[in-house]
Amino acid sequence: MTLWKDFNQGLIKENPVLRLMIGLCPTLAVSNTVINALGMSAATAFVIICSNIVVALLRKIVPDEIRIPIFIIIISTFVTIADYIMQAFTPDLHHALGVFIPLIVVNCIILGRAEAFAYKNPVLNSALDGIGMSLGFALALGSIAVVREFLGAGSILGVTLYNPAFAATIMVLPPGAFITIGFLMAFLNKMEKKVQ
Amino acid sequence: MGKILKLGFVLMIFCIVSAGALAYVYIFTQPKIELNGKKAFENSLTSVLPDAKSFNVIKIGSKEAYQGLSGKDIVGTVFFASPRGYSSNINMLVGIDSNAKVSGIKIVSQNETPGLGTNTTKKSFLDQFLGKMAGDQIEAKKDIDAITGATISSRAVCRGVREALNDFEKNKKVKQ
Repeated sequence: MTLWKDFNQGLIKENPVLRLMIGLCPTLAVSNTVINALGMSAATAFVIICSNIVVALLRKIVPDEIRIPIFIIIISTFVTIADYIMQAFTPDLHHALGVFIPLIVVNCIILGRAEAFAYKNPVLNSALDGIGMSLGFALALGSIAVVREFLGAGSILGVTLYNPAFAATIMVLPPGAFITIGFLMAFLNKMEKKVQ
Repeated sequence: MGKILKLGFVLMIFCIVSAGALAYVYIFTQPKIELNGKKAFENSLTSVLPDAKSFNVIKIGSKEAYQGLSGKDIVGTVFFASPRGYSSNINMLVGIDSNAKVSGIKIVSQNETPGLGTNTTKKSFLDQFLGKMAGDQIEAKKDIDAITGATISSRAVCRGVREALNDFEKNKKVKQ
Protein backbone atom coordinates (compact mmCIF):
# COMPACT_ATOMS: atom_id res chain seq x y z
CA MET A 1 0.00 0.00 0.00
CA THR A 2 2.80 2.44 0.83
CA LEU A 3 4.55 1.29 -2.35
CA TRP A 4 1.55 2.40 -4.38
CA LYS A 5 1.46 5.68 -2.48
CA ASP A 6 5.18 6.29 -3.11
CA PHE A 7 4.62 5.74 -6.80
CA ASN A 8 1.38 7.65 -7.00
CA GLN A 9 2.13 10.85 -5.16
CA GLY A 10 4.48 12.27 -7.81
CA LEU A 11 1.81 12.10 -10.49
CA ILE A 12 -0.74 14.69 -9.40
CA LYS A 13 -0.74 15.18 -5.64
CA GLU A 14 2.93 16.16 -5.43
CA ASN A 15 3.51 16.80 -9.10
CA PRO A 16 7.01 18.34 -9.10
CA VAL A 17 6.28 21.07 -11.63
CA LEU A 18 2.64 21.96 -11.09
CA ARG A 19 2.32 21.40 -7.30
CA LEU A 20 5.81 21.61 -5.76
CA MET A 21 6.89 24.15 -8.39
CA ILE A 22 10.42 22.80 -8.66
CA GLY A 23 12.36 22.05 -11.83
CA LEU A 24 10.82 25.04 -13.59
CA CYS A 25 13.97 25.99 -15.50
CA PRO A 26 14.00 23.03 -17.91
CA THR A 27 10.20 23.14 -18.00
CA LEU A 28 10.19 26.70 -19.31
CA ALA A 29 13.03 26.09 -21.71
CA VAL A 30 12.18 22.87 -23.52
CA SER A 31 8.38 22.73 -23.42
CA ASN A 32 8.06 24.60 -26.74
CA THR A 33 7.61 21.42 -28.77
CA VAL A 34 6.24 18.02 -27.76
CA ILE A 35 9.29 16.14 -29.09
CA ASN A 36 11.67 18.25 -26.99
CA ALA A 37 9.46 17.77 -23.92
CA LEU A 38 9.40 13.99 -24.35
CA GLY A 39 13.17 13.80 -24.92
CA MET A 40 13.83 15.92 -21.86
CA SER A 41 11.41 13.85 -19.77
CA ALA A 42 13.12 10.62 -20.83
CA ALA A 43 16.60 11.92 -20.00
CA THR A 44 15.43 13.32 -16.66
CA ALA A 45 13.56 10.09 -15.83
CA PHE A 46 16.74 8.06 -16.42
CA VAL A 47 18.69 10.33 -14.07
CA ILE A 48 16.02 10.49 -11.32
CA ILE A 49 15.39 6.74 -11.25
CA CYS A 50 19.09 5.76 -11.34
CA SER A 51 20.16 8.34 -8.78
CA ASN A 52 17.27 7.43 -6.46
CA ILE A 53 18.24 3.75 -6.61
CA VAL A 54 21.95 4.38 -6.03
CA VAL A 55 21.34 6.86 -3.22
CA ALA A 56 18.95 4.41 -1.51
CA LEU A 57 21.47 1.59 -1.90
CA LEU A 58 24.28 3.61 -0.37
CA ARG A 59 22.23 5.47 2.25
CA LYS A 60 23.78 3.49 5.13
CA ILE A 61 27.42 4.12 4.08
CA VAL A 62 27.16 7.76 3.05
CA PRO A 63 28.32 9.93 5.99
CA ASP A 64 25.74 12.53 6.91
CA GLU A 65 28.16 15.49 6.72
CA ILE A 66 29.12 14.99 3.08
CA ARG A 67 25.88 13.58 1.73
CA ILE A 68 25.17 16.57 -0.56
CA PRO A 69 28.52 16.45 -2.44
CA ILE A 70 28.09 12.70 -2.80
CA PHE A 71 24.55 13.09 -4.17
CA ILE A 72 25.87 15.62 -6.66
CA ILE A 73 28.66 13.26 -7.79
CA ILE A 74 26.11 10.47 -8.29
CA ILE A 75 23.66 12.72 -10.15
CA SER A 76 26.26 14.33 -12.39
CA THR A 77 27.68 10.91 -13.27
CA PHE A 78 24.27 9.78 -14.52
CA VAL A 79 23.68 13.07 -16.35
CA THR A 80 26.99 12.72 -18.19
CA ILE A 81 26.16 9.11 -19.07
CA ALA A 82 22.77 10.23 -20.43
CA ASP A 83 24.51 13.03 -22.34
CA TYR A 84 26.99 10.63 -24.01
CA ILE A 85 24.29 8.08 -24.84
CA MET A 86 22.00 10.68 -26.41
CA GLN A 87 24.89 12.14 -28.38
CA ALA A 88 25.72 8.69 -29.72
CA PHE A 89 22.24 7.33 -30.46
CA THR A 90 19.86 10.29 -30.84
CA PRO A 91 22.08 13.11 -32.18
CA ASP A 92 19.15 15.15 -33.53
CA LEU A 93 17.33 15.18 -30.21
CA HIS A 94 20.59 15.94 -28.43
CA HIS A 95 21.10 18.87 -30.76
CA ALA A 96 17.59 20.20 -30.11
CA LEU A 97 17.89 20.01 -26.31
CA GLY A 98 21.41 21.42 -26.34
CA VAL A 99 22.65 22.86 -23.08
CA PHE A 100 19.60 21.67 -21.13
CA ILE A 101 20.93 18.12 -20.96
CA PRO A 102 24.02 18.99 -18.90
CA LEU A 103 21.75 21.32 -16.93
CA ILE A 104 19.74 18.32 -15.67
CA VAL A 105 22.44 18.26 -12.96
CA VAL A 106 20.94 21.35 -11.37
CA ASN A 107 17.33 20.22 -11.76
CA CYS A 108 16.21 20.48 -8.16
CA ILE A 109 13.68 17.66 -8.54
CA ILE A 110 16.55 15.17 -8.62
CA LEU A 111 18.57 16.46 -5.68
CA GLY A 112 15.29 17.10 -3.86
CA ARG A 113 14.16 13.47 -4.22
CA ALA A 114 17.62 12.15 -3.26
CA GLU A 115 17.66 14.25 -0.11
CA ALA A 116 14.00 14.08 0.90
CA PHE A 117 13.14 10.53 -0.10
CA ALA A 118 15.86 8.16 -1.33
CA TYR A 119 18.25 8.91 1.56
CA LYS A 120 15.61 7.75 4.07
CA ASN A 121 13.80 4.93 2.27
CA PRO A 122 14.55 1.42 0.95
CA VAL A 123 15.57 0.79 -2.65
CA LEU A 124 12.21 -0.40 -3.99
CA ASN A 125 10.29 2.56 -2.55
CA SER A 126 12.92 4.95 -3.87
CA ALA A 127 12.80 3.44 -7.34
CA LEU A 128 9.00 3.75 -7.38
CA ASP A 129 9.22 7.30 -6.09
CA GLY A 130 11.66 8.06 -8.93
CA ILE A 131 9.35 6.52 -11.53
CA GLY A 132 6.33 8.39 -10.16
CA MET A 133 8.18 11.71 -10.03
CA SER A 134 9.50 11.30 -13.57
CA LEU A 135 6.03 10.43 -14.84
CA GLY A 136 4.68 13.50 -13.07
CA PHE A 137 7.43 15.61 -14.64
CA ALA A 138 6.70 14.10 -18.07
CA LEU A 139 2.97 14.67 -17.61
CA ALA A 140 3.46 18.33 -16.72
CA LEU A 141 6.06 18.95 -19.43
CA GLY A 142 4.01 17.08 -22.02
CA SER A 143 0.77 18.91 -21.33
CA ILE A 144 2.50 22.30 -21.36
CA ALA A 145 4.23 21.39 -24.63
CA VAL A 146 1.00 20.22 -26.30
CA VAL A 147 -0.66 23.56 -25.51
CA ARG A 148 2.36 25.63 -26.54
CA GLU A 149 3.12 23.78 -29.76
CA PHE A 150 -0.56 23.76 -30.79
CA LEU A 151 -1.18 27.45 -30.11
CA GLY A 152 2.29 28.70 -30.98
CA ALA A 153 3.30 26.70 -34.04
CA GLY A 154 0.02 25.19 -35.22
CA SER A 155 1.28 21.64 -34.94
CA ILE A 156 1.61 18.70 -32.56
CA LEU A 157 4.65 16.41 -32.72
CA GLY A 158 5.71 18.35 -35.82
CA VAL A 159 2.48 17.49 -37.70
CA THR A 160 0.93 20.74 -38.93
CA LEU A 161 -2.73 20.98 -37.91
CA TYR A 162 -3.62 24.44 -39.19
CA ASN A 163 -1.92 27.25 -41.07
CA PRO A 164 0.99 28.37 -38.84
CA ALA A 165 0.38 31.95 -39.99
CA PHE A 166 -2.56 32.01 -37.55
CA ALA A 167 -0.46 30.70 -34.66
CA ALA A 168 0.40 32.97 -31.73
CA THR A 169 4.21 32.99 -31.81
CA ILE A 170 4.31 34.27 -28.23
CA MET A 171 3.29 30.79 -27.08
CA VAL A 172 6.58 29.19 -28.19
CA LEU A 173 8.57 32.04 -26.64
CA PRO A 174 9.28 32.15 -22.86
CA PRO A 175 6.13 34.17 -21.94
CA GLY A 176 4.00 31.38 -23.45
CA ALA A 177 5.53 28.94 -20.98
CA PHE A 178 4.67 31.13 -17.99
CA ILE A 179 1.11 31.69 -19.24
CA THR A 180 0.53 27.97 -19.85
CA ILE A 181 2.01 26.91 -16.51
CA GLY A 182 -0.14 29.50 -14.74
CA PHE A 183 -3.34 28.24 -16.33
CA LEU A 184 -2.47 24.59 -15.67
CA MET A 185 -1.74 25.32 -12.00
CA ALA A 186 -4.99 27.23 -11.64
CA PHE A 187 -6.86 24.33 -13.24
CA LEU A 188 -5.28 21.80 -10.85
CA ASN A 189 -6.06 23.97 -7.81
CA LYS A 190 -9.68 24.31 -8.94
CA MET A 191 -9.96 20.55 -9.40
CA GLU A 192 -8.52 19.99 -5.94
CA LYS A 193 -11.09 22.29 -4.35
CA LYS A 194 -13.89 20.49 -6.16
CA VAL A 195 -12.65 17.09 -4.94
CA GLN A 196 -12.57 18.34 -1.37
CA MET B 1 41.47 15.67 12.13
CA GLY B 2 40.84 11.95 11.79
CA LYS B 3 37.22 12.63 10.90
CA ILE B 4 38.15 15.01 8.08
CA LEU B 5 40.54 12.45 6.62
CA LYS B 6 37.86 9.78 6.79
CA LEU B 7 35.28 11.97 5.06
CA GLY B 8 37.80 13.00 2.42
CA PHE B 9 38.64 9.37 1.82
CA VAL B 10 34.96 8.42 1.35
CA LEU B 11 34.48 11.30 -1.08
CA MET B 12 37.58 10.20 -2.99
CA ILE B 13 36.25 6.64 -3.32
CA PHE B 14 32.99 8.00 -4.77
CA CYS B 15 34.89 10.18 -7.24
CA ILE B 16 37.06 7.27 -8.38
CA VAL B 17 34.08 4.97 -8.94
CA SER B 18 32.24 7.73 -10.80
CA ALA B 19 35.26 8.54 -12.98
CA GLY B 20 35.66 4.84 -13.79
CA ALA B 21 32.01 4.52 -14.82
CA LEU B 22 32.26 7.63 -17.00
CA ALA B 23 35.46 6.43 -18.65
CA TYR B 24 33.76 3.17 -19.54
CA VAL B 25 30.72 4.90 -21.09
CA TYR B 26 33.03 7.35 -22.89
CA ILE B 27 35.09 4.60 -24.53
CA PHE B 28 31.89 2.83 -25.52
CA THR B 29 30.12 5.87 -27.05
CA GLN B 30 32.96 8.05 -28.38
CA PRO B 31 33.53 6.35 -31.76
CA LYS B 32 29.81 6.54 -32.44
CA ILE B 33 29.66 10.23 -31.49
CA GLU B 34 32.60 11.10 -33.76
CA LEU B 35 31.05 9.15 -36.61
CA ASN B 36 27.74 10.99 -36.13
CA GLY B 37 29.49 14.35 -36.23
CA LYS B 38 31.40 13.47 -39.39
CA LYS B 39 28.33 12.02 -41.08
CA ALA B 40 26.21 15.05 -40.17
CA PHE B 41 28.86 17.38 -41.58
CA GLU B 42 29.22 15.42 -44.83
CA ASN B 43 25.44 15.31 -45.19
CA SER B 44 25.24 19.07 -44.85
CA LEU B 45 28.00 19.51 -47.45
CA THR B 46 26.14 17.27 -49.89
CA SER B 47 22.85 19.05 -49.19
CA VAL B 48 24.25 22.37 -50.42
CA LEU B 49 26.13 20.88 -53.38
CA PRO B 50 24.06 17.89 -54.49
CA ASP B 51 26.24 17.05 -57.52
CA ALA B 52 29.35 16.35 -55.45
CA LYS B 53 30.28 12.81 -54.50
CA SER B 54 33.28 13.63 -52.33
CA PHE B 55 34.95 16.69 -50.85
CA ASN B 56 38.47 18.13 -50.63
CA VAL B 57 39.51 20.71 -48.09
CA ILE B 58 41.09 23.79 -49.69
CA LYS B 59 42.46 26.99 -48.13
CA ILE B 60 41.33 30.47 -49.10
CA GLY B 61 43.40 32.93 -47.14
CA SER B 62 42.98 31.81 -43.58
CA LYS B 63 39.60 30.17 -44.17
CA GLU B 64 38.79 26.64 -45.16
CA ALA B 65 36.46 25.72 -47.98
CA TYR B 66 35.36 22.38 -49.36
CA GLN B 67 35.84 21.58 -53.01
CA GLY B 68 33.17 19.20 -54.30
CA LEU B 69 34.30 16.46 -56.66
CA SER B 70 32.38 14.07 -58.84
CA GLY B 71 34.92 11.59 -60.12
CA LYS B 72 37.76 13.89 -61.22
CA ASP B 73 35.63 16.92 -62.12
CA ILE B 74 35.28 19.86 -59.79
CA VAL B 75 31.55 20.48 -59.54
CA GLY B 76 31.65 23.41 -57.14
CA THR B 77 32.83 24.65 -53.78
CA VAL B 78 31.20 24.91 -50.38
CA PHE B 79 32.05 28.00 -48.34
CA PHE B 80 31.57 28.56 -44.65
CA ALA B 81 30.26 31.88 -43.35
CA SER B 82 29.39 33.00 -39.85
CA PRO B 83 27.58 36.36 -39.94
CA ARG B 84 26.42 37.96 -36.71
CA GLY B 85 22.63 37.62 -36.37
CA TYR B 86 20.31 39.01 -33.73
CA SER B 87 21.43 36.94 -30.76
CA SER B 88 24.09 34.61 -32.13
CA ASN B 89 26.46 33.93 -34.97
CA ILE B 90 24.62 32.16 -37.77
CA ASN B 91 26.98 29.43 -38.95
CA MET B 92 26.11 28.55 -42.49
CA LEU B 93 27.39 26.58 -45.47
CA VAL B 94 26.94 28.03 -48.94
CA GLY B 95 27.42 25.80 -51.97
CA ILE B 96 28.46 27.46 -55.24
CA ASP B 97 28.37 25.30 -58.37
CA SER B 98 30.62 25.35 -61.44
CA ASN B 99 28.38 27.98 -63.09
CA ALA B 100 29.26 30.33 -60.19
CA LYS B 101 25.65 30.15 -58.95
CA VAL B 102 24.48 29.43 -55.42
CA SER B 103 23.40 25.78 -55.39
CA GLY B 104 22.29 25.50 -51.79
CA ILE B 105 22.46 26.98 -48.32
CA LYS B 106 22.37 25.23 -45.02
CA ILE B 107 22.37 26.82 -41.58
CA VAL B 108 24.52 24.53 -39.50
CA SER B 109 23.95 26.15 -36.14
CA GLN B 110 22.39 29.31 -34.78
CA ASN B 111 20.82 30.56 -31.60
CA GLU B 112 18.29 33.08 -32.87
CA THR B 113 14.91 33.80 -31.28
CA PRO B 114 12.79 30.62 -31.45
CA GLY B 115 9.77 31.10 -33.71
CA LEU B 116 11.16 34.24 -35.35
CA GLY B 117 14.88 34.22 -36.17
CA THR B 118 14.93 30.44 -36.35
CA ASN B 119 12.58 30.66 -39.35
CA THR B 120 15.61 31.74 -41.39
CA THR B 121 16.62 28.07 -41.41
CA LYS B 122 13.45 27.21 -43.36
CA LYS B 123 13.66 26.02 -46.93
CA SER B 124 11.16 28.59 -48.23
CA PHE B 125 13.43 31.41 -47.05
CA LEU B 126 16.75 29.88 -48.09
CA ASP B 127 15.50 28.82 -51.54
CA GLN B 128 15.30 32.51 -52.49
CA PHE B 129 19.09 32.55 -52.72
CA LEU B 130 19.35 29.73 -55.24
CA GLY B 131 20.93 30.80 -58.53
CA LYS B 132 22.35 34.06 -57.12
CA MET B 133 25.79 35.04 -58.42
CA ALA B 134 28.58 37.32 -57.28
CA GLY B 135 27.64 40.89 -58.17
CA ASP B 136 23.90 40.23 -57.80
CA GLN B 137 22.05 42.49 -55.38
CA ILE B 138 21.32 40.41 -52.30
CA GLU B 139 19.61 42.56 -49.73
CA ALA B 140 16.84 41.59 -47.32
CA LYS B 141 13.48 43.34 -47.87
CA LYS B 142 14.61 44.46 -51.36
CA ASP B 143 15.76 41.43 -53.29
CA ILE B 144 14.98 38.79 -50.69
CA ASP B 145 11.72 38.55 -48.73
CA ALA B 146 12.76 38.84 -45.09
CA ILE B 147 11.18 36.73 -42.34
CA THR B 148 8.50 38.77 -40.56
CA GLY B 149 9.77 39.85 -37.16
CA ALA B 150 13.31 38.72 -37.94
CA THR B 151 14.77 41.41 -40.19
CA ILE B 152 18.14 41.33 -38.45
CA SER B 153 18.51 37.56 -38.79
CA SER B 154 17.38 37.75 -42.44
CA ARG B 155 19.94 40.47 -43.17
CA ALA B 156 22.65 38.38 -41.52
CA VAL B 157 21.90 35.43 -43.80
CA CYS B 158 22.12 37.78 -46.83
CA ARG B 159 25.47 39.02 -45.57
CA GLY B 160 26.65 35.42 -45.19
CA VAL B 161 25.72 34.61 -48.79
CA ARG B 162 27.46 37.74 -50.06
CA GLU B 163 30.55 36.83 -48.04
CA ALA B 164 30.62 33.34 -49.56
CA LEU B 165 30.25 34.73 -53.09
CA ASN B 166 33.12 37.15 -52.38
CA ASP B 167 35.29 34.29 -51.17
CA PHE B 168 34.39 32.43 -54.35
CA GLU B 169 35.51 35.39 -56.50
CA LYS B 170 38.74 35.72 -54.51
CA ASN B 171 39.44 32.04 -54.97
CA LYS B 172 38.84 32.33 -58.73
CA LYS B 173 41.32 35.19 -59.02
CA VAL B 174 43.99 33.26 -57.14
CA LYS B 175 43.67 30.42 -59.61
CA GLN B 176 43.94 32.58 -62.76
